[in-house]
Amino acid sequence: MASRSSTLAQPAVFRGVGRSLLLTLPIALWTLLMFTPSFQRAGRDLHIAAAVVILFMTALFFLMMRTGETYRWRRIFFVALGFLFPVGFIASLVAERGTMSIPLSRMVSGDTPFCFMVTPTIILPAAFARTIIFPGAILPTATNTRSIAFMIGLWFAFTLVLGKAWCSYACFFGGIEEGFAAFPKRRRLHRFVTKYGGILRLIPWAILVFVVLLSAAILEPVYCMWLCPFKTVTEFPAVRNVETAIQFGVFVTLFAGLVVALPLLTKKRTQCGFFCPFGAFQSIFNKINLFEIRFNREKCVDCTLCQTACPTVALSKDSIREGKTLLNCMKCGACVDVCKKDAAVWHLKGTPVAVKPERARLLFLYGAWALAVMFGGNILAGSIAAIIGFLPWK
Amino acid sequence: MLGLTTGPVCLASCGPVVLPWMLVQPQGVRWHSRQLLLFLAARLAGYLVFAAAVWLVGSSIPHAWSRRSWLVGGIQVLLAAALVVYAAGWPRRRCALAQPSSQLVQIGEAPRPRTSGALALGFLTGISLCPPFLVAGVRAAQLAHLWAALLFFAFFFVGTAVWFFPYLSLGFVQRTPAVVTVARMVAILLACWYGFSGVSILIERAFYG
Repeated sequence: MASRSSTLAQPAVFRGVGRSLLLTLPIALWTLLMFTPSFQRAGRDLHIAAAVVILFMTALFFLMMRTGETYRWRRIFFVALGFLFPVGFIASLVAERGTMSIPLSRMVSGDTPFCFMVTPTIILPAAFARTIIFPGAILPTATNTRSIAFMIGLWFAFTLVLGKAWCSYACFFGGIEEGFAAFPKRRRLHRFVTKYGGILRLIPWAILVFVVLLSAAILEPVYCMWLCPFKTVTEFPAVRNVETAIQFGVFVTLFAGLVVALPLLTKKRTQCGFFCPFGAFQSIFNKINLFEIRFNREKCVDCTLCQTACPTVALSKDSIREGKTLLNCMKCGACVDVCKKDAAVWHLKGTPVAVKPERARLLFLYGAWALAVMFGGNILAGSIAAIIGFLPWK
Repeated sequence: MLGLTTGPVCLASCGPVVLPWMLVQPQGVRWHSRQLLLFLAARLAGYLVFAAAVWLVGSSIPHAWSRRSWLVGGIQVLLAAALVVYAAGWPRRRCALAQPSSQLVQIGEAPRPRTSGALALGFLTGISLCPPFLVAGVRAAQLAHLWAALLFFAFFFVGTAVWFFPYLSLGFVQRTPAVVTVARMVAILLACWYGFSGVSILIERAFYG
């Protein structure tokens, strides 16, 4: 991880322990509530994992309250989620099927867990052809509780409130590249990213339109079948012929390039910022949700530290001059934390800018962390339980 | 009735071609209406050519995959090329003065609209062998007279064409540089897809028969 001095300037708020604990109390209770079912289920591994996650999530929120920093602590959770999700997922696949590839029979029977990445591509076929073009079950089944209806309902509820913050607090893929982006101390290709950022951030929109149109035309989840880099670390169609070999080659190449190599070079979330169509889709909801980052022009000195720190190139000089982020801001808080002049602030729409920004941050964080606990916390617990299960002395 | 009921499929299968191509056109519903009419006219021409072909050779084209695959692959490769030329705008004209800004004072007549894109894309989507099209082809091949087959396809066209009018709403979309750039990128991606798909079919046909 990069040192704090290189990424973060100074905390905006530094609360006392008692006050921080008081502010953490609602999240602690929510976390306990979310993990109550885990303790009711049998299995010592799961109980240990749930306890670890409760402590982990509550401690991180406490540190957010105590230090006034968001990005640093959120990143710890997010990277853990990104790296542990494939561990738990692959472990369950191997235990169940003995392989990461999906046999056709499993696809047909609808046993594939629904992935929210295909949400934008299933809308048009569902409307016109009354077909869900994903091999999953619409309602929960005995073997697949994460059904399409459940996942879309969950996603929609949180997206309405948090907008594209989904990509910073719930996406179980983004943490992998955020982890790789955190490794190097130096930013390379910085000039390239700054110069061509305007074009690069349009690519996810193009891919979104491309996959939506083509999925509707050929009634196939095109992104899943051909473009998802994360198939490399989850599950993929079994390689049986030239076509599936090409598919697998595309997945691996995109993963190696966008999720590993480019984040290491640029210290940016390149897959999220320059490729992910679901991220572009989420950006639309930034228009209608309550929270945003704004810039107090009276304090801003145009140092562009925030622009450099932004992991998804969601800031441009023009947007900072206008006091706003671009549409693709995922509310990770990096710009707010890095600003030495406290010019970048959290903002609740409909209220004056830079008046009580900490209150806006708190309201946002309660929603975002509640989502993180509910969605990511459960994934973390499952993965940790899987790891405990594999320990040699077990 | 066949055209009306299968219209949504036509809307979806032609969407990848129509949407990016229309978004790189200038803004305005009037302009879009003219372009869409040209596109549909070319599409009708494609339909009638196909109707005549299936009537002449019987229903063997829609049925026999071995013959159809050459056609499907070839059409997809041509569609990819047409998307690159007309929607992505490559290769571009070298002289910037060839497309003067609309804000400049215009001397003489207004430049004539480019219609070749609408005609090429309309014709190529018109002969693309999508499922409802093949159903119509089988029916047309069974008819007793050529004029009956042509009439059948003309009515089929009218039924499907109704579904294309929602595309006129694209005329209202503001043509910011970002919108046009995204449309061009989409066209390139789709051209890659159609090219890959077409070439795959042709290679498969060449090697495996």
